[in-house]
Amino acid sequence: MRKALALVLVCLALAVFFAGCGSKIGPGYDEKEVYIGLFVSTSGEIATFGTDTKNGVELAVEEINKAGGINGKQIKLIAYDTASKADEGKTAATKLATQDGVLVSMGAVASGISLAAAPEFQKYGIPMVSPSSTNPTVTQVGDHIFRICYLDDFQGGACAVFASKDLKAKKAAILQNQDDAYSTGLADFFEAKFKALGGEVVAKESYKKGASDFKTQVTNIKGKSPEVIFVPCYYNDVALIAKEFRAQDVTVPLLGGDGWESDKLIPSAGSALEGSYFGNHYSQEDDNPKVKKFVEAYKAKYGNVPSSLAALGYDVVYVVKEGIEKAGDFDRKKIRDALAGLKAFDGVTGKFDIDENRDARKPISMLKIEGERFAPVRQIKPEEVQ
Amino acid sequence: MLKTLGILAAGIAVAFGFGLLVDNAVPPFWALIVNLCGVSIILAVSLNVINGLTGQFSLGHAGFMAIGAYVSAYFTTTLRYFDPEVAKYVSQQPLFDGVWGFAPALLVGGLAAALAGLLVGIPTLRLKGDYLAIATLGFGEIVAILLTNFKQVGGSKGLTGIPSYADTSWIYAFVAICIAFSLFFQRSTFGRALIAIRENELAAEVMGIRTARMKVMAFVYGAFFAGLAGGLYAHLFQTINPGNFNFMKSVEVVVMLVLGGLGSLTGAIVGAIILTVLPEALRDLEREIALPGFRMALYALILILMMIFRPQGIFGQRELSLKLLRRILPGGRK
Repeated sequence: MRKALALVLVCLALAVFFAGCGSKIGPGYDEKEVYIGLFVSTSGEIATFGTDTKNGVELAVEEINKAGGINGKQIKLIAYDTASKADEGKTAATKLATQDGVLVSMGAVASGISLAAAPEFQKYGIPMVSPSSTNPTVTQVGDHIFRICYLDDFQGGACAVFASKDLKAKKAAILQNQDDAYSTGLADFFEAKFKALGGEVVAKESYKKGASDFKTQVTNIKGKSPEVIFVPCYYNDVALIAKEFRAQDVTVPLLGGDGWESDKLIPSAGSALEGSYFGNHYSQEDDNPKVKKFVEAYKAKYGNVPSSLAALGYDVVYVVKEGIEKAGDFDRKKIRDALAGLKAFDGVTGKFDIDENRDARKPISMLKIEGERFAPVRQIKPEEVQ
Repeated sequence: MLKTLGILAAGIAVAFGFGLLVDNAVPPFWALIVNLCGVSIILAVSLNVINGLTGQFSLGHAGFMAIGAYVSAYFTTTLRYFDPEVAKYVSQQPLFDGVWGFAPALLVGGLAAALAGLLVGIPTLRLKGDYLAIATLGFGEIVAILLTNFKQVGGSKGLTGIPSYADTSWIYAFVAICIAFSLFFQRSTFGRALIAIRENELAAEVMGIRTARMKVMAFVYGAFFAGLAGGLYAHLFQTINPGNFNFMKSVEVVVMLVLGGLGSLTGAIVGAIILTVLPEALRDLEREIALPGFRMALYALILILMMIFRPQGIFGQRELSLKLLRRILPGGRK
């Protein structure tokens, strides 16, 4: 009995302690600053993705603040690490929403983390813009959740259009990682679109996550003599797969998605990928002065060429800025409406609209591997894929 | 027995009071941390029965948690899918609707995990030490891989749109149930038999304890509560995917136990609370000094120091009780 009484007293004491903290969320700005949240994983398994994104975000924030901020207020960036864990996506989101009271939030890279965070922002009516979560369900969480990257269905379809129209291929083969939703998703969308365009998928081979021997699959594909081979995988697998194809004298171009992008791709594949193509969020060699300025500023600040994730991180800040400026007011509801109606946003990852699903409708940049370069070939617009 | 039931009833009552207080008076961020602590406590206390009391080294707790999470979520969620192929397999209406469908859904999840515990326990508990650790680790990985390949539960994308039923009252009611059961078990014949197995398996067998059966029962018991914790986790986070229940999650629970003191119930509770609160408490510090990764490094450092200076954990095998407090506090009665 005494124990139970003690417990009740402890609860009461805790309640009194916490009651002082208050629980109403703040307006998201003060006289001088506007609070913008960021949650990405800068530690753990996917730390490189989060760090690139954060670098891009910080560069953009610095530029905007130097140029006078948003509607006269400086951006105060409140960034939390999510340690590559979905649990921390939710706690970081709750902290950003209720403790820091951010006006708008940006994040995350991994869809699993965005999905854990999104219901919190939705609940408190805070707009959340993800730079690079590609899972379609992310923006289905609610009307306050946005994204500025393209989805996997578009990416797979665009690769099929490129194979059929630009490479004039009639017969394609697919080699996919069967344990990865990204890989099988891209493969399915490619197959459907390529068939719809009158092409034929002569072989569809799979391998398991972590495989290092692709002899069987490559031999099977070789026997069907395709004109292009779609390999929707990550760069480390792609390098090994390309070497195996070349070892068996298959010389037709390989084709892939944004998983190929890495500064480790060419060093590990050697010349095996010469003349192959992949679709990406932007091209580092784009002539667009906006892209040139971004690449130079990024190189000067961090010493390396910005990846797609850095470019998306850079763009997401400008999307938020445009949303706030269009709203004309530091009001979350108005900002949400402005973001939902965003048209012809001109960023380093292309010109895009936000569509009725709160996803970005944007072009994909097809790149050709030439020596150590990723040379831009052309952009494929969403209209071409539908 | 009557006393245990009394403790249980009192515990649940306190949990509901606690829940009301947390929901109304605590800022949402801290309320979330309190809820996360509750889930961690159930995980740690249930694993303590296997790893602490029985002395078997299981590394598969996340696997049981995953089963509980997926099964319970499957019953409460209106499953919507991006892929129309998958939509054919699943019900468009939740099988158990509303908050009152939550309790049976959780129970089914716990039972599914317990069944898995039984199936895994019978063959693997013949193994000892490292071999058991490897076998249970393998089990956890198998669960994650199966879930990744089942399109019916979303594959590697996982399930989304799970209703947010698990509030503080629900979670702490189960915390109370889990602790009351564990208290009762520790002091029962069953618990004493488990401790005997831990201390010397051969001697326990000679004394007439059916060690294989006891070990499997401990395993099933631990798996059941891990399944419940998984169900609560799913309805707290509203989204789950196989990556949530990987090897690291199992390790996290083991670390909670080791930090608190293997074999100590209060140690498991304190370990769970510390390891859940610490990364969040260090968040502001990390932001102040702008050094990414600092939080995780500090967290690791604390564990290393702990292992050097107090390898038996905070409590060792002792329990925190009013008696112990009286002995430690200066001027207390001996």
